[in-house]
Amino acid sequence: MTARPFTLRNPTPMPGWGLSFGIMVTMLSVIVLVPMGVLLWRGFVGFGAGGMWEVVNRPRVWSALELSFRAALIASLFNLVFGVILAWVLVRYRFPGKRLIDAAVDLPFALPTAVAGIALTAIYAPNGVFGSVIQDTFGIRVAYTELGIWIALIFVGLPFVVRTVQPVIEEIDRETEEASATLGASRLRTVTHVVLPMLAPAALTGFALALARSVGEYGSVIFIAGNLPNVTEIAPLLIVIRLEEFDYDGAVAIAIAMLTISFALLLAINLIQIWSRRRMGAV
Amino acid sequence: MNIEIEEISKDFGTTAALHPVSLSIPSGTLVALLGPSGSGKTTLLRILGGLEFPTAGRVLFDGADATNLSVQDRRAGFVFQSYALFRHMTVFDNIAYGLRARPRQSRPQSAEIARRVTKLLDLIKLPDIGARYPSQLSGGQRQRVALARALAIEPRMMLLDEPFGALDAKVRRELRQGLRDIHDTTGLTSIFVTHDQEEAMELADLVVVMSMGRIEQVGKPEDIRARPKTEFVREFVSA
Amino acid sequence: MTDTLTIPSRPRAFRPATTEPTVVKGALIALCLAVLTVLLFAPLIAVFEEALRRGWAFALASLSEPDAQSAIWLTLTVAAIVVPLNAAFGIAAAWAITKFDWRGKAWVFTLIDLPFSVSPVVAGLLFVLMFGANSALGAWLVASGFPIVFAVPGIVLATLFITFPFVARELIPVMLEQGRAEEEAALTLGASGWRTFFTVTLPNIRWALLYGVLLCNARAMGEFGAVAVVSGKIRGQTTTMPLMIEMFYNEYLSVAAFTMAGVLALLAFVTLTLKTALEWRYADQLAATHRH
Ligand SMILES: Nc1ncnc2c1ncn2[C@@H]1O[C@H](COP(=O)(O)OP(=O)(O)OP(=O)(O)O)[C@@H](O)[C@H]1O
Ligand SMILES: [Mg+2]
Repeated sequence: MTARPFTLRNPTPMPGWGLSFGIMVTMLSVIVLVPMGVLLWRGFVGFGAGGMWEVVNRPRVWSALELSFRAALIASLFNLVFGVILAWVLVRYRFPGKRLIDAAVDLPFALPTAVAGIALTAIYAPNGVFGSVIQDTFGIRVAYTELGIWIALIFVGLPFVVRTVQPVIEEIDRETEEASATLGASRLRTVTHVVLPMLAPAALTGFALALARSVGEYGSVIFIAGNLPNVTEIAPLLIVIRLEEFDYDGAVAIAIAMLTISFALLLAINLIQIWSRRRMGAV
Repeated sequence: MNIEIEEISKDFGTTAALHPVSLSIPSGTLVALLGPSGSGKTTLLRILGGLEFPTAGRVLFDGADATNLSVQDRRAGFVFQSYALFRHMTVFDNIAYGLRARPRQSRPQSAEIARRVTKLLDLIKLPDIGARYPSQLSGGQRQRVALARALAIEPRMMLLDEPFGALDAKVRRELRQGLRDIHDTTGLTSIFVTHDQEEAMELADLVVVMSMGRIEQVGKPEDIRARPKTEFVREFVSA
Repeated sequence: MTDTLTIPSRPRAFRPATTEPTVVKGALIALCLAVLTVLLFAPLIAVFEEALRRGWAFALASLSEPDAQSAIWLTLTVAAIVVPLNAAFGIAAAWAITKFDWRGKAWVFTLIDLPFSVSPVVAGLLFVLMFGANSALGAWLVASGFPIVFAVPGIVLATLFITFPFVARELIPVMLEQGRAEEEAALTLGASGWRTFFTVTLPNIRWALLYGVLLCNARAMGEFGAVAVVSGKIRGQTTTMPLMIEMFYNEYLSVAAFTMAGVLALLAFVTLTLKTALEWRYADQLAATHRH
């Protein structure tokens, strides 16, 4: 067996290898790999790690990065909890308008972010429908504060957990829940000890997708955020500002910082997934 | 515990899964519910277990009306056809599940739980698999774990839906004797569903032949074989 | 009903072991409806309310302005270029990944997904770095009269990056599930490669392809961040519809901004409707476990 010569692919009579592989590799390179490579090269070779660190290690940049990741985490955690509830309601319960609601969950995928941004701002601004009510009753401002950023990011990440968890709920065997009940567990205990652990891996996947999406979100946030440096200025906006100042090195440094933190987070989530999957055996 | 089924019927919408059926099961009996597919065996078993509610009629446990008793309070050791093991829990946690779910006053200490789980693992002759997950077990092993999990709650009766249905013939035969042994040691009233007449005849003290939502005949295996009451029973047991 | 006297009264509604109490159900449904109203439906209504604040005529007039017109044309043009290119990539990648066994497949699979976890702003930045006037390549391109950044090609590239995984992600699971047997059968019957593709593969994947194209198109027309960075936002030249919304909005031309937003919202409706229709009718031919 070891004598087999190295081949990229196993021989097959299937046609179109050259063409399909060629198109795939060319487009992947031109659109994704080379541009990403240029960014990393500009950062690490052109500008240098030390220079980048100096750019990032300033209060305004730190607070922008912190804000972006904090708000994304908060919004994604909200979406994690709410998404599981919504998926449960959509799969298990029957109520009028259910199909419409189910279809509407995907609205954030279909609605351009700029539209979402100005629309959310319109209703959560101090003179907006909800904004004014919230201000009058709780004395809290939503738009132009961090709260507004949370709302925009919750909107953007809403469908991810719902859509990853829904099929898993559909597949839960009724007998598993019944077994728990016959063993004396209350409904609440069945849900917390049997159902939720079964949904956890999918929910975590959805959480990671929502997080990745909302960390980098720009369009829906800048309208509602207020964009005050050190307070409500998100990291992507800071990149745009640097670019407008023709400070390319600054933009590159912040971009690489964002990518690094994002990938570290996603890697951590992935490792949790692998670990939990291994724990459950080969499921 | 003796079980009294009085004129139980069950409709699913317009289809009648059970026409009124009555049956009396003396304490400690091993009963087989035997019948072809769709005859209402599972439905009857689920009504006894509190998973389904009868359209009419009532169920008595030791003479007390249990019709309205919730699943949780019935303490029926239910073994599902698919076993329904919790796949995110180890075998140990699966078996301990029912004890841990008890209200605080009646919940055993964790050392006591461990002792009981170990005892049950010995009873099913799988002493070393406590740390495994269900996905790491063979079909026969899963079935026995499901049995141990149901026994852990100190059930008042055992209800088993086609306990050997998903197993190959050889394992089936081995586990049959295992079930008989466990029944004899625990002395629990046990009802198992099967559509295999050989299995019913070999294992049960009392065989209940069902067809199309009705009980055709109740009797000891040899009586049913020797004196089938209806044409259906004759054909079914001679098959 | 005298014969029921012997039967003890039973609970009004027997609750199966696999359901929650009615109160809990009601509360959860109410919670979901409330959150979705506040988060999804209210903003949508707000778009149309703000757009029609001064009547239909005023709103429609704002669309016929030259800047608005050119933004609409640019958005349509970009989508018309990006969507077919992405579809071609998606088909090629899915073919190469599902019809052949080769080393490094998993890596390529991950790389195709990469743009999902890159901020749109960073996506725009990538192409500014590559083709902007600050780079040698960019300077040369500008000098030879073919600028990419602050021009339409840059918008196309950035949009391609953002929408890169959309079609491939839909096709790969579907084609994996369908296997290779049908293509192999066609080949043994003497069909050529292209004939096999058009008569066997394409009919099998057409709904999944349409599904991917739909999502790709929605994102391509709506992309904001990446396009904002590469386009330079030159009025009437490199301003797409989403960028035009921002411009109108910042100039306090509220009706114009929300009218343009309303047009895109209508487009979102169409997308959702078609998408839902596909899911209901052809669920079996779509990537079943990965609905989005
Ligand atoms: N939840 C339900 N809804 C509607 N009809 C049902 C339901 N459960 C069972 N039935 C019907 O009731 C009848 C009896 O079903 P049951 O499952 O009790 O049969 P069974 O004897 O266990 O059959 P099998 O050997 O195939 O398991 C069948 O006609 C079945 O279709
Ligand atoms: Mg059955």
